[in-house]
Amino acid sequence: MKLRRVSAVARKEWQEILRDRLFFTLAFVVPAMLMLLFGYGLSLDVERVPFAIADYDRSATSRDYAYRFIDSRYFALQGYAKDDRELDPLLRDNKIRVAIVIPPDFESNLLAGRAARVQTLIDGTLPGRAATTKGYVSAINAAFNRERFAAQLARSRGLTLETARDLAEPIRLEVRYLYNQSLSSIHSLAPKLIMFILMFTPPLLTAVGVVREKESGSIYNIYASTVSRGEFLIGKLSPYVAISMGNVAILWLMAVMVFGAPFKGSLLFYLAASTLFVACTTAIGLLVSLIVKTQLAATIVTVILTMVPAIDFSGFLVPVESLTAEGQIEAHLFPAMYYTDVVVGIFLKDIGPSTLWPNLLVLTVYTAGLFVAGYALFRKRPRT
Amino acid sequence: MGAAPLVTDADTALIRVRGFRKSYRKRVAVDRVDLTVPRGTIFGLIGPDGAGKSSLMKAIAGVLAFDAGEVEVFDVQLDSEAAAERIKDRLGFMPQGLGLNLYPELTVDENIDFFARLRLVPEDALRDRKHRLLVVTRLDRFKNRPMKQLSGGMKQKLGLVCTLIHEPELVILDEPTTGVDPVSRRDFWTIVGELVAEKGITALVSTAYMDEVNRFHNIALLHAGTVLATGTPSEIHALAPGAQVLVQVDPPLTALAKLRQGFPQVETIGKRLCVYVDDATPANAEQTVRRALAGYTLHSIQAGEPDMEDMFIALLRRRGLIPIERVTVRQETPVNAASSGACAVEARDLTRDFGDFRAVDRANFTIAAGEIFGLLGANGAGKTTVIKMLTSLLRPTEGLAWVAGADVREGGTAVKERIGYMSQVFSLYLDLSVIENLRLYAGIYGLSRRQAKERIQWVIEMAGLAGHEGERPAAVPVGLRQRLALGCALVHRPRVLFLDEPTSGVDPVGRRRFWDVLFRLAREDGVAILVTTHYMSESEHCDRLALMYAGRIVADATPSELKQSLEDDAGELLEIDVADSTGALTLLRDVGFANAYMHGARVRVFARAPGADRHSVQGILENAGVRVVQIKCIPPSMEDVFVYRITALERAAAEVAA
Repeated sequence: MKLRRVSAVARKEWQEILRDRLFFTLAFVVPAMLMLLFGYGLSLDVERVPFAIADYDRSATSRDYAYRFIDSRYFALQGYAKDDRELDPLLRDNKIRVAIVIPPDFESNLLAGRAARVQTLIDGTLPGRAATTKGYVSAINAAFNRERFAAQLARSRGLTLETARDLAEPIRLEVRYLYNQSLSSIHSLAPKLIMFILMFTPPLLTAVGVVREKESGSIYNIYASTVSRGEFLIGKLSPYVAISMGNVAILWLMAVMVFGAPFKGSLLFYLAASTLFVACTTAIGLLVSLIVKTQLAATIVTVILTMVPAIDFSGFLVPVESLTAEGQIEAHLFPAMYYTDVVVGIFLKDIGPSTLWPNLLVLTVYTAGLFVAGYALFRKRPRT
Repeated sequence: MGAAPLVTDADTALIRVRGFRKSYRKRVAVDRVDLTVPRGTIFGLIGPDGAGKSSLMKAIAGVLAFDAGEVEVFDVQLDSEAAAERIKDRLGFMPQGLGLNLYPELTVDENIDFFARLRLVPEDALRDRKHRLLVVTRLDRFKNRPMKQLSGGMKQKLGLVCTLIHEPELVILDEPTTGVDPVSRRDFWTIVGELVAEKGITALVSTAYMDEVNRFHNIALLHAGTVLATGTPSEIHALAPGAQVLVQVDPPLTALAKLRQGFPQVETIGKRLCVYVDDATPANAEQTVRRALAGYTLHSIQAGEPDMEDMFIALLRRRGLIPIERVTVRQETPVNAASSGACAVEARDLTRDFGDFRAVDRANFTIAAGEIFGLLGANGAGKTTVIKMLTSLLRPTEGLAWVAGADVREGGTAVKERIGYMSQVFSLYLDLSVIENLRLYAGIYGLSRRQAKERIQWVIEMAGLAGHEGERPAAVPVGLRQRLALGCALVHRPRVLFLDEPTSGVDPVGRRRFWDVLFRLAREDGVAILVTTHYMSESEHCDRLALMYAGRIVADATPSELKQSLEDDAGELLEIDVADSTGALTLLRDVGFANAYMHGARVRVFARAPGADRHSVQGILENAGVRVVQIKCIPPSMEDVFVYRITALERAAAEVAA
């Protein structure tokens, strides 16, 4: 192993990355840009849902009922509709996501002790959002019912309102969300985004960087020279790992400063674990580059090979436990899931190596395996 | 017994190849190749694209595994990757593709440094060598320029410097001169020749240009994956003995038909016909051709040694490797007076700027109907920009041009209906069959069903596509694909045809057939043809040539006029056969023959005073102790014309800059 040869390769690679506009962008701009785009675009919180009310009753009770929604921070009133025919176009054009239709005999029914039916129209195009919205509607509706029941009880039994309320709702839930008290989705999303970006950009950069040499023919400079396989691979890959380590730090800063994600664990442990992960994903890029022949193929294969596990089988959007049995097997085959546990654990729970060591072990073995395979597949005297 | 050392193969051979075979999947690329490359020589692998040159060179460089046979380099059997590693410190390999193995973002300096450090060249040695090589290649002024901004010729020289920086004993150069302009090519050969002479290194070089054969000490002719012949250039010449006769005759078309009945190898070169006469001396050959053309008007007749391309084809023909084609030549059809001689293309002060850069600078020329007009120039001289303006793809910044009577500034359909255009990358649909491609183009040009049928029939006959109608372009030889592309450009019966480097990558046999088609198009149908090419030998096919330099047309004349004016300006061309050619070259340059250059093992020089200089050259050399074997006067080639004119212009430009 001659350090001079390793450094010659690394230096050349570094110069090329800095000067080639595409590579520069891919290395230094794309990761931060993805973080911003996904961070702002992928928020899973449902708040200020636009809605409209069609109040056929126009009574004191119906107004009171409607105000429960209008006052809620989860809904944003877009206006009253004269009748439900006006609601259709609003729903169709995404002006509103929810419509509440209060029937004409709302108050009289309630006063007569009959149940009133309020129609709720919810836009179901985004099922997750729709389910959450329905939850909000139900909760507001239940609170209204409870109030009326308690008031009725107080009146008929001559109780204080306080006692009546206790009777009406004898068991109350006290919920405290741990690790993410405000239940803000970006807090748990930010560390997962780091995983997603580190799963995707280092292998893409690496695969394209290596294949580029095969495509242009400059790889023959390596084949025909005395540089050994190990020297070449170390020299070639080290700039990519170094750049990704820089991105590990930048993404952490963005998660904490831009998105205000809480960081409870050890920064040192985060950096060390993330370095292991980028080494692993860089090795995926190397492996791809040894199998394909063109930069286009390298891009497509890398995107498929990294995006699919990063999005579907990592706990990024859907927890691994909620996947089907096959999905869980797939999740265990890719490194994304192991790192997701690590990075989310460090950010939100301050979990250290004592708990996360099995994940780190898997990642280490994975990385070593990929590099050994890459070393074995890289030939200085190939068949084609 | 005498103690005279026996010079054996074992002492002198640096590369030994026996029974070599390489296949890719099921396709056999090279088979049963035997080759011996002696130490200290320039060994040429000659053959068209796809002959197997690259595979063989990569295997010898130890960067490609092969299927069978033995490859021995520096007495090391390359039978494993580990064995191949053992020779790599002593060899330099430059793969095919102009500057493709270099790093475009790195400067000239940084590229060289990378190669040197990869080879562990000590820093002080690197400084010295780099300086020396940059001076020799005249790249020293561009040290800090990114490689991507170099011209083709400069990229190629940088590639050579990078390959040589660790002073290898063996350099393997895969088609280093393809796509490089003649001036840079000549520079390149001079550098390689001097290195071999000075350092005693061995060079294995491949080329697709047949006219470069004389640059080599030894050559192997490759064809379809096998070695056709090996030996010195003169030994190769002896394999297909014959002479070549150039005649200008009237009427040319029937004369061509007549000659083709009697001689297997006849082609048209501009206004002349070139006949290859097997097993004949030039004098005999001339007699034979005169007899065959009894009754025709002979304007000129000239017999001489055949060039390498003719030789190669003759050799293929004699070995039965190419089918002898019975070309059907139609009766002499008098080209109607209206189209013949009428002006088909006229450019008046045609100019195009790209920002501050003037790509074409006041170009003036005319092309008559039925004329083949060649545009010559180095990469970036402005040839393609001229074509783009004439085909109204690009608006002229200034100036006027008419194509088949239509003003190109009006653009659009008027021009496009009257022209055909074929680019370097044949624009064919590889998944459609030959006939489907033709039908598609007929449809694009809006031909009626009846017209289309008639024209497609004509194109198939004209381009020699009969029998291949159902085949996919991807599966047919490059030459045929090229003629199909030409056919597609002809479907709508254009009056003017534009061809942008149409013969790149086509083998000599294919190129000849292509020129045959062009000749008939011009002569029989009166189509005006504008063609650009970087094969100097091909430019001789043109009726008239315009030479472009830095956006300007610097010469516009027939090939023979261009050669004549070269001899008027520079004197006769002398070829000097000497023992020490490198020494002789340096000597001649020192005493003021700046135009002297190396051609294989011989030196060529322009004699300014005919007769007188011949003796003074001999005197200069012999006084310096260089033994002169022979000095003879030879006709200059188009390459000589190009190099002389362009170097003069470059020198003038450099003086202005200084």
